[in-house]
Amino acid sequence: MVFGGWLCLLAPLAGFLAITLAGTRISRNQAGVLSTASVFAGFAGAVIAFVDALGRSPDDRSELTTAWTWLTAGDFKAGVELLVDPLSLVMMLVVTGIGGLIVLYSNGYMAGEDEERRYFAYMAFFVFSMLLLVEAGNLLLLLVGWGLVGLASYLLIGFYHERPSAVLAAKKAFIMNALGDAVMALAFFLTIAKVGSLDFAPVFDAASSGALSDTVVTLIALGLLGGAVAKSAQIPLHTWLPDAMEGPTPVSALIHAATMVTAGVYLICRTHPVFEAAPDVQHLAALLGLATLLVAGVVALVQWDIKRVIAYSTMSQIGYMFLGAGVGAYGFAMFHLVTHAFFKALLFLTAGIVIHHLSGEQDIRKMGGLRRELPITHATFLIGTLALVAIPPFAGFWSKDAILASALASGGALGWVLYIGGLIGTFLTGLYALRLYFYVFRGEPRHAEHAAEDHGEAPPTMIVPALVLALGSTVVGFLAIPGVWEPFEDWLAPVVEPLVTPSATEEWLTSLVAVSFGTVGGYLAWRAFRAGREIVADGAVRRALEHKLWFDELYDALFSRPAQALAVRLRDDVEQPVVQRGLDEIAEGTLDASAVMGRAQSGLLRTYALTFAVSVSILTLVFLVVR
Amino acid sequence: MSGPDIPWYLAVASILFTIGVAGVLLRRSPLIVLLSLEIMLNAANLAFVGFSRLHGEMDGQVFALSVMAVAAAEVCVGLGLIVAMARRRLDLDVDAFTELKG
Amino acid sequence: MGNFLTWVVWLVAAAACLGTGLRVVTASNPFASALSLIGNLASLAVLYLLASGEFVAAAQVLVYAGAVMVMFLFVIAYLGGRADAPWAGGTRLIQVSAVVAAVSLLAVTLVAVGLEAGDQLSKEADVTRSFGSPAGIGELFLTDQLLAFEITSIVLLVAAIGGVVLGMRSRAEQEADRPRAAP
Repeated sequence: MVFGGWLCLLAPLAGFLAITLAGTRISRNQAGVLSTASVFAGFAGAVIAFVDALGRSPDDRSELTTAWTWLTAGDFKAGVELLVDPLSLVMMLVVTGIGGLIVLYSNGYMAGEDEERRYFAYMAFFVFSMLLLVEAGNLLLLLVGWGLVGLASYLLIGFYHERPSAVLAAKKAFIMNALGDAVMALAFFLTIAKVGSLDFAPVFDAASSGALSDTVVTLIALGLLGGAVAKSAQIPLHTWLPDAMEGPTPVSALIHAATMVTAGVYLICRTHPVFEAAPDVQHLAALLGLATLLVAGVVALVQWDIKRVIAYSTMSQIGYMFLGAGVGAYGFAMFHLVTHAFFKALLFLTAGIVIHHLSGEQDIRKMGGLRRELPITHATFLIGTLALVAIPPFAGFWSKDAILASALASGGALGWVLYIGGLIGTFLTGLYALRLYFYVFRGEPRHAEHAAEDHGEAPPTMIVPALVLALGSTVVGFLAIPGVWEPFEDWLAPVVEPLVTPSATEEWLTSLVAVSFGTVGGYLAWRAFRAGREIVADGAVRRALEHKLWFDELYDALFSRPAQALAVRLRDDVEQPVVQRGLDEIAEGTLDASAVMGRAQSGLLRTYALTFAVSVSILTLVFLVVR
Repeated sequence: MSGPDIPWYLAVASILFTIGVAGVLLRRSPLIVLLSLEIMLNAANLAFVGFSRLHGEMDGQVFALSVMAVAAAEVCVGLGLIVAMARRRLDLDVDAFTELKG
Repeated sequence: MGNFLTWVVWLVAAAACLGTGLRVVTASNPFASALSLIGNLASLAVLYLLASGEFVAAAQVLVYAGAVMVMFLFVIAYLGGRADAPWAGGTRLIQVSAVVAAVSLLAVTLVAVGLEAGDQLSKEADVTRSFGSPAGIGELFLTDQLLAFEITSIVLLVAAIGGVVLGMRSRAEQEADRPRAAP
C-alpha cells in the first residue's frame, strides 16, 4: 500500500520536473504526453494501493510511513509522513483518475496554444501538490500541500499572462487563499503550543479526550474552517472562484471543480475529531455551506458566461458538501465530492468542447442549437446536467440526497433549516442547470456563422475523457444505494465515523422530495426558455444578482481601498520624506563634504610641501610629548 | 674636545635645515628648490656627524656618506627632469604644474 | 690658545655656513645660488673637520662640491636665461605659511633637542686619532654597514639609468635632427 502511495505521489512530480528541466528540448506534444503519462502513472499507484487495501480487513487499512524527519525544534518534531488510508485513497483515486482524464483532454484542447509545455508542467505540479495534501501524514505536510496547491492555482489561472483580467483573477485567488492559509497557520501555532505536535493522532486524541479547553479547540477548529472556506470558495471567501474562470477550461475543470476546491471538505473530514469537539464551529460550517449553496444558486440564474454558471454551480455543490460535513455525514459528503468530481469535470470539459468549437465564444446568448452540430457532446453534457440536478439514475441523485437525508436525521432546528434550505437549493439547481442546457444546445443556432469551426465533433483526445466521465457520472452513484448496498460508506467508516446515519426510509423519502423539487425547477426553466424570457425578471432583484450581491464591492471598500489608501499615505508621509529624502540628503552631504575636501588638492607642489612641513612639526611635538 | 660642544653643531644644523625648508616652500624655480633640498640634506649630514662625534661611533659618518651618495643620485635625476622640461619648452615654474588639482 | 682658535674657526665656519645658506635661498640669479651652495659645502667641510670627520669632509669637498655642484653649474649654463628665478608669485597665504612652517620647524627642533637630550648631549665620548679616518670608515662599510653600502650603489646605478632615460631625445626630436634627404 505504501509503495502505491509513494508511486502515486512522486510520479506527477517526476513528470513536472522532467518537463521543466527538458525545457524546449522536447516538443509540445511530448510535454503533453509526458504530463498525461505521469498523472496516469500516479493513478496506477493509487490503484495498486487501493487493491492492496481491499485485500485487507477493514481495520487494517491505514498505513502511516515516514520518509525522514524534516523538522525538529525542541520537543516538536515533524516528519515527511505519508498516510495511506481509505479517506486518502478515495482522494488519490479521484485526483489522479479524473486528473489524468483532464490532462489527456488538455492535449487536444490546448493544442496550438503558446507555451503549452509550461501548462503541462503546471498541471503535473498541481496534481503532485494535491496528492501531497491528501496523502500528508501530519498537519504540517498538509499545510505544505495546501500552499503548493494555491500556488499551482495561481500559476494556472494566470496562465494567459498577457491578459490583465487573468492576472488580476490569479492575484485575487491567491490573496484570498493566503488569507485562509494564514488563519490555518494560526490554528496550527495554537495546536503546537497546546498539544506539542502536528501529527494526526496526538492532535485528534487531545481534541476528543477533552484535554484542551473549549476555547482552544474552538479556535483551532475556526482556523481550520477558515482555511477550508478560503480554499473551497464558500461564503465569505468565495469571490475568487468565478474570476478564476479566466484560466483555460481544463484548469477550471481540474482545479476549480473536481479537486482543489474540494480540499476544504477533505480537511474537515480528516480533522473531524477537532470539529466534533467544537460543535459550534461544525454547525457554523454547515450554515456557511447552506448560505453558499443558496447564494450561488440564485446568482447562477443571471450569468451569461457558460463557465461562470458552472463555477457558481460548483460553489453551490461544495456548499452541499460543507453542509454534509457540518452535520457529521462525512461519508456522504465525501461521496458527493466523488460524484461531483465526475459530473462537474464532465460539464466543464464539454463546455470546453463547445467553446473550442465556437472559437472561444463563451457567451451563451451567442450559442444554441448545438445539439445537431455536436451530438456526442450534447449527450454527455445532458448526462452531466442531469447528474447535477440529481435525477436518477445518475450519480448526483445518490449522493446529494444522502446529504439531505442526513441533515434531516440530525434533527433539531438546525437540521430542519438545513434540510429545507437544501431542498430549495435543489430547486435552484434544476433552474440554472436546465437554463444553461437549453441556451447552449437547444433552439435555433444564434452563433455567428463564421465562428463555428467546421470540423464537426471534437478530436478523440477531448471526446474520450468526456465519454469516460459521462459513464462515471452514470455508474458511480451506485456505490451508495440506501439500504441495499453501501460499499462507499463502509469503506470510509473506519476512518471517518459519521455522526448521523439516516435510515433507509428517510433517504428514499428525501430523494423523492428532492427529485420533485429538481424536476419542477427544470420544468420552469424549460417554460421560460420556450417563452423566450428570463427566469429572473428585470428589476432590483436581477440587478442585485448581476452584481453577485455586491460582495466584490463590499470587499473592495472594506479592504482594498483602505489598503491602497494606507499605502499611498505611507508612501507620501513616510517613505518619500523620511526614507527617500534621508538617502538623498546623505548622498548630497557626502558630495558636499568631498567637494570641500577636494579643495585641499590644489595641484600646487608647494602646498603639498607645506603640508609636509607642518606635519613634521606636529609629529615632532607629539614625539616630544609622548616620550 | 676643544671648541664648542655638540649642541652647537646641532643648533647650526637645525637652523640650516629650516633655511632649506623655507627655500623649498617659497621659491618657484625648480632649480632653486633643488638647491634648497641640498641644503636640507647637508644640514642632516651635519647632525649625523655631530652625533657620531658625541657617541664615539663612526656609524653616523658612514650614514652621512650614504646620504651624500643618494643626494648625488637625486640631483642627477632632478636635473634631468629640469632639462627635459626645458627641452619641451615648458615654463620652469613649479606652480605651473597643476595636473593633480582637484 | 688652541681652544680659542678652535672656537674662532668654528664661529667663522658656522657663520659662513648660515650666510651662504641664506644666500642660496634668496638669490635671484641661479649662478649666485649655486656658487653660494659651494661656499656652504666648503664651510660645512670645515665643521666636519672640527668634529673629527676627516674622511667625510674630504668626501664632501670632492664629491659634493666637486661633482654634484659642477653638474648643477652645467645645467644652469645650459639653461641660460631660462634659469632665472625671480621671487614673484605664490599667494600671500602660501608665503606666510611657508615662513611660519619653517620657523616652527626650527623652534620645534631646538626645543625638542634641548629638552630631551639635555644632559645627554654634554658628555662627548673620547675618541682616538683614528676616529673618522678612511680606514675606520672603510672597515665599517665592509662589515657592519655592508647593506647600506650595497644599496647605495644600486641607487646610484638606478639614478644613472634614470639620467640617461631622461636625457634621451624622443623619436620626433631625433627625426627633426637628422638632415632630411633630398625629396
